Amino acid sequence: MAEEEHHETFEAAGAGASKTFPMQCSALRKNGHVVIKGRPCKIVDMSTSKTGKHGHAKVHLVAIDIFTGKKLEDISPSTHNMDVPNVKRQEFQLLDIQDGFLNLMDADGNSKDDVKVPDSEVGQQIESDFEAGKDLMVTIISAMDEEQAISYKEAPQGS
Amino acid sequence: MSTDNAHASVLTPSEALPENAVHVKGPDLSKPIVLQDLLKSYETIGFQATGLARAIQVVEEMRKQRSNPDEPLTLFLGYTSNLISSGLREIIRFLAQHKLIDCLVTTAGGVEEDFIKCLGSTVLGEFHLDGAGLRRRGLNRIGNLLVPNSNYCAFEDWVVPILDQMVKEQEEVGTKWSPSSVIDRLGKEIDNEESVYYWCYKNNIPVFCPALTDGSLGDMIYFHTYKSSPLQLNIDIVADIRRLNDMSVKSKKAGMIILGGGVCKHQIANAMLFRNGADYAVYINTGQEYDGSDSGARPDEAVSWGKIRAGAESVKVYADATLVFPLVVATTFGKAHWEARSQDGKKNPE
Repeated sequence: MAEEEHHETFEAAGAGASKTFPMQCSALRKNGHVVIKGRPCKIVDMSTSKTGKHGHAKVHLVAIDIFTGKKLEDISPSTHNMDVPNVKRQEFQLLDIQDGFLNLMDADGNSKDDVKVPDSEVGQQIESDFEAGKDLMVTIISAMDEEQAISYKEAPQGS
Repeated sequence: MSTDNAHASVLTPSEALPENAVHVKGPDLSKPIVLQDLLKSYETIGFQATGLARAIQVVEEMRKQRSNPDEPLTLFLGYTSNLISSGLREIIRFLAQHKLIDCLVTTAGGVEEDFIKCLGSTVLGEFHLDGAGLRRRGLNRIGNLLVPNSNYCAFEDWVVPILDQMVKEQEEVGTKWSPSSVIDRLGKEIDNEESVYYWCYKNNIPVFCPALTDGSLGDMIYFHTYKSSPLQLNIDIVADIRRLNDMSVKSKKAGMIILGGGVCKHQIANAMLFRNGADYAVYINTGQEYDGSDSGARPDEAVSWGKIRAGAESVKVYADATLVFPLVVATTFGKAHWEARSQDGKKNPE
């Protein structure tokens, strides 16, 4: 198990960007990101307890998995480092939907066809709006080797 | 009313005193006196001094009965957590180190403060120190003792890897932990001769703590559940109640010494039920009975429940155990230990 963690932490992701970087727990902030139980999360609530009979000062984190929406909690000594995921958001133009995958194109004209239509309300709306002939821009969030379409909007007319 | 009537009612003639009446008399301090003799003189001082002398007699009897070849006595010692914070810790350690007791029962602080003292000192303060000021300075008060927060941080750094290991053994080897086996493990890990529980581990003296999570150790276990999630350390209190009650049932004779009240007092007394009561009982505490608490109950209340045998030798000393227990141990177990050592010295001159 330890070896797996090692593998996960240090394997290079994309163009030299590491998947995560360490940050002292006390420097984490609400609405920021953190890795809990190996999952990239957005912090929705944080509280700290001062040093006392329970030992070192502790930070209590409540966070939402950015991909699954699942709530995760952690408590860590405030002086300890936690991993923060490198989270990237990018907008693509939606060209087609094939076999449940989005056919996307970025601003430079590169195509990207490996992101699924999300199994969610957003996914259903993308499909129905696309079928209705609307020109859509889809936002893909990526972190720790996972990608997902999280939102979309209609492309500005005339672009 | 005539003066004759008044005279008769004020000066009613006494009935004759029994032959064996004990005459109240204190020690004569015009001559030098050694501790043993001074404490002997307590028998006839009255009030709690007489209670203390009686406690010494009962403890001495328990000490002797432990080595009775036919019906060896099992001695149960209970104490509250503040007493491990105090210097009574060293007296309890003496008892554990030299195998002079058979079983300990305490609460969470009574366990963790012993280990914490191996990592940092508890220091003397004052009862009147201001709480808010101490909080700002990171000092926790126990009566007139102070424990710095840094001691608890050191405790956390020491204990968390052991909790990791215990969860690992639970998952991989199937170890089933109970409070007494956790304390035994911690005693092994601390590997420090100053520790009570190091000696309990060494000498196979079980230590029971039904409320193991009610203290800093519980705080650590709580935080650790987040760290180990979805795994979690399981500590089985059923295994321990069986182990403790079995010990009581299998004892030929049983005696209890209980310092303070609460869980440590009742858990031992409760275990005594299963053998139809303890044969000896010494309580040392400041509890009062008028609120109906078990902490304040006299031995006779335990007799009514069958926790102490009717006719058993029992005494309650109304005193702070820190004043009294060193004297009790010094004149019983301590004295016997020193005498045995000086005889060994004569037999095997170095």
